[in-house]
Amino acid sequence: MRAARRGSARRVVVMAAIASLGAGLLAGCADDGKDEDSSSSGDSSGKTTITLGLFGTMGFKEAGLYEEYEKLNPDINIEENVTERNENYYPALVNHLTTNSGLQDVQAIEVGNIAEVVATQADKFEDMSKAEGVKKDNWLDWKWQQATTKDGATIGLGTDIGPMAICYRKDLFEKAGLPTDRDEVSKLWAGDWSKFIEAGEKYKKGAGKDTYFMDSPGGLINAILSSEEEKFYDSSGKVIYKTNPEVKKAFDLTAEAAEKGLVQSQTQFQPAWDQTISNSLFATVACPPWMLGTIKAKSQPDSAGKWDVAQAPKSGNWGGTFLGVPKSGKHVKEAQKLVTWLTAPEQQAKLFSKMGSFPSAPAAYKLPQVTGGKNDMTGDAPIGELFAKAAEQIPTQVIGPKDQIIQQGLTDNGVILVTQGKSPKDAWDNAVKTIDNNLEK
Amino acid sequence: MTTTMTKPPADAAPDPSRKGRGRRGSKSSRAGGHLHAGPIAYIILALFTIGSLFPLVWTAIAASRDNQRLAQTPPPFWFGGNLFDKLEIAWNDANLGEAFLNTTIVAGISAFTIVFLSTIAGFAFAKLRFRGRNALMLIVIGTMMVPPQLSIIPLYMMVAKLDWSDQLQAVILPSLVNAFGVFFMRQYLLQALPDEIIEAARVDGASSWRVVWHVVFPAARPAMAVLGMLMFVQSWNDFLWPFLVLTQNGSPTVQVALAGLGRGYTPDQSLIMAGALLGTLPLLLVFAIFGKQIVGGIMQGAVKG
Amino acid sequence: MTTRHDTAASPVKGGAAPGRPPGGRGAAEADRKRAKLSRRWQRDIRWSPYAFVSPFFLLFVAFGLFPLIYTGWASLHTVELTAPTDMKWTGLDNYTRIFDDDFFWNAAKNTLWIGIISTVPQLLMAMGLAHILNYKLRASTFYRVVMLAPYATSIAAASLVFVLLFGRDYGMINWVLDLVGLDKIDWQNGSWASKFAVSSIVIWRWTGYNALIYLAAMQAIPQDLYESAALDGASRWRQFIHVTLPSLRPTILFTVVVSTIGASQVFGEPLLFDANKGASGGSQHQFQTLGLYLYEQGWVNQHLGRASAIAWAMFLILIVIGILNAVISRRLRASS
Repeated sequence: MRAARRGSARRVVVMAAIASLGAGLLAGCADDGKDEDSSSSGDSSGKTTITLGLFGTMGFKEAGLYEEYEKLNPDINIEENVTERNENYYPALVNHLTTNSGLQDVQAIEVGNIAEVVATQADKFEDMSKAEGVKKDNWLDWKWQQATTKDGATIGLGTDIGPMAICYRKDLFEKAGLPTDRDEVSKLWAGDWSKFIEAGEKYKKGAGKDTYFMDSPGGLINAILSSEEEKFYDSSGKVIYKTNPEVKKAFDLTAEAAEKGLVQSQTQFQPAWDQTISNSLFATVACPPWMLGTIKAKSQPDSAGKWDVAQAPKSGNWGGTFLGVPKSGKHVKEAQKLVTWLTAPEQQAKLFSKMGSFPSAPAAYKLPQVTGGKNDMTGDAPIGELFAKAAEQIPTQVIGPKDQIIQQGLTDNGVILVTQGKSPKDAWDNAVKTIDNNLEK
Repeated sequence: MTTTMTKPPADAAPDPSRKGRGRRGSKSSRAGGHLHAGPIAYIILALFTIGSLFPLVWTAIAASRDNQRLAQTPPPFWFGGNLFDKLEIAWNDANLGEAFLNTTIVAGISAFTIVFLSTIAGFAFAKLRFRGRNALMLIVIGTMMVPPQLSIIPLYMMVAKLDWSDQLQAVILPSLVNAFGVFFMRQYLLQALPDEIIEAARVDGASSWRVVWHVVFPAARPAMAVLGMLMFVQSWNDFLWPFLVLTQNGSPTVQVALAGLGRGYTPDQSLIMAGALLGTLPLLLVFAIFGKQIVGGIMQGAVKG
Repeated sequence: MTTRHDTAASPVKGGAAPGRPPGGRGAAEADRKRAKLSRRWQRDIRWSPYAFVSPFFLLFVAFGLFPLIYTGWASLHTVELTAPTDMKWTGLDNYTRIFDDDFFWNAAKNTLWIGIISTVPQLLMAMGLAHILNYKLRASTFYRVVMLAPYATSIAAASLVFVLLFGRDYGMINWVLDLVGLDKIDWQNGSWASKFAVSSIVIWRWTGYNALIYLAAMQAIPQDLYESAALDGASRWRQFIHVTLPSLRPTILFTVVVSTIGASQVFGEPLLFDANKGASGGSQHQFQTLGLYLYEQGWVNQHLGRASAIAWAMFLILIVIGILNAVISRRLRASS
């Protein structure tokens, strides 16, 4: 009996302990929440904290831009939340947008996702074209249009772009008996991607089996497709990748290069692909300015200065980002001001000189940070000027919400198979089947 | 199952002395513990150790090198000179001090609670008779079969409604729904807890809670330690869900804090590896502590105390 | 479910609460107390099991039920991740289309093979390891830590290591193959090679995990059983077969069930072995599992409705497997 009673007393104690643990836990968390609240809406000195949600490629902080802005605006404090991979960042952003919860004051959007965000989430963002001090003409027109809805609301301001050129190895070109001067090299294939393949065949004849002409089939098809005005969608928003002759041409050309052994059987940004950079196994790569950073990071030191930059057969864009201000943010006005400042030509130029992100504001191309731009890998090639020239020739391309999925299919479930010995037809069929299945709602 | 369990004394069990039991336990030791391992056992263990640790050691090697060296062939097999620099950069960049604290809170509370709740529920399913038991157990197992990747999206809709963004309970509370633990404890107690002991305690007039406290918990201790370790690790390494609800300048867990490391057009692999290493080391420490707990032989003194 | 010795016989058949008889008090009072106690006792016996299992179910109702209902409901609609509340009714379309979805059946086949290749050796090795670790060992805590190291290693670290190890041109495994005069294997693109490679990651990550579970269960086997077996002259091997294995039955059942469910949901390992940005499981989907396919449809392609239907289809397949399993084992038991 005593035992039983003591048992029930103990039960009460245990229950109480659990309950208080639970309550304490909730209280503790609530406290946490409050702390966060107070710190993000202004600390004791009355500062306003603006938070940015960014992914991998931005580098504002590293370029010292926050510091500069905080100096100019002593009542502002800037904090960033960076996710290294956009594959992680973007689905979370979509979840946050659809629930209007967990959003930062400023959110970055990658160019591969911008069409989808414009099409499905535009009502969640402030119209930046109406923000104070924003001048549409500051940006390349196509960059501006990419973030603008049919109704004319601009949900994000452009930061960087990726004007594509061809980076090539001077030493390997010389060995293969090709010209090494960048203008002559540009002339080899000016205006026509099939001339690029021809140059590849010449390279192969001269260089033999030790090296490849280009880094990967994915890099090639991406470069060709980026230079088209229409690729996967038409201007009415219809998916046309299967019927667009330009897409098929790009695919066939890449497949041809693969069959002729001009491209490596590699997927870009895989460790094995990194290793082929390190081992100097290929002579060209389609190359926006940021690619030079990748080359530098993966190369052995003795490759410095061996690269140069030629114009692509046709210019295109690869990469770039937008900054948008969600309506649900706590400091919309301040955030808009910050975004406007960060994307102004002067700041874009600074970002290029420090981080290699190429400006989307043409006014920046005349600034000394761009005109004087250099890179270790390309010696004293004036890369700022070279890429600016490419940037000005980028066509206004129709982009669509599922561009990434379609291109992924054409590349990773498509042309790569040709390098593994499949026929171009089988590769195309495999790609189409994959893409159609992935697009089907 | 034949058991030659010592019957408890007639008197209602006084609080069992843990120390006494522990000593007893370690002396008569684990099942099979009278056998010493032979040389073959050590060889197998050595191979197994190499296989298990290799990626972790290589992570440290990668962290001690730089991007350029990692891209070379063959990849490095020995440490470079940058390890401590990289660790320091990773620590500061990802603000890991605070993240460790948050993750310890999250993983600690959820592991502890899961172990506690799973043990009592597992006990009920294994040893108590009640209406609907089998059906309820099947429901528990059924909940495991639902792939978790998808539930995250509706769950986030809930959390958004509750306005729990960036608060630790948004990570802790959903993680407590843990069918694995209940099932694990049920199966363990089926085997490890002879009915006779429970009967004996009942004869002594112990209430169900008392049985749980004095019979079930001692008997379940090795399994509780194992479950605690597994759940702690799971919670520590969980990414998809915490990443959705927490931010780096709010109250990040380690994996959320590490998600921003090495950023740039070209990710800094060695920095990412340094972060991964820092994220793993505390876990190994926890294992070392809990590993001792699984030294068993606890049954022999379970009720007697 | 095998429940051999389910329940403790209730000690209170007669309704009398045990305990020492109260001394120095009136018999009536004692009876009343006894009756009260007995009522309490019966309440305890009757309701405490529910109290013990209720936290799980309460938490499940709070945090598990809505997601379940939502995905069930979403599976009957066309829904996109970009607007998860904007649903368009399609009835059972998402389910019927699964029948001619080659990718689903390809993934189902891959899941089955990867499940078999990884689970069987994994559990056998785990059992062996647990057995060894159950001996008296020097530095036994060290091995227990080592055992869980793979499980603790982050996906980022593990993926880099394994992708390098399995590299076609520069990978260490191919280097060894080359050294002993064998052909190099394209681990990512070969149909079987990639399944083996993915399985090996699964085995690496989860063997120690299962070994630990077995070990905990082995610790609970009473010493006396081994002693009497040893007295009967049983060898170590016979002790393992006749004492250890039968005692571990519930735990073995547990690991088999959990591994089967786990294998059906494998997605981290093939995802990390797949360098694509998407989750197609290789250029020809050669190692795309159902879990990965589900992830691809839901998170990458953003088709919540389809993904939900895939999730429920997986759930139903598992249930069918479970029922078949139960029927077969009942038959076997009946015939033996």
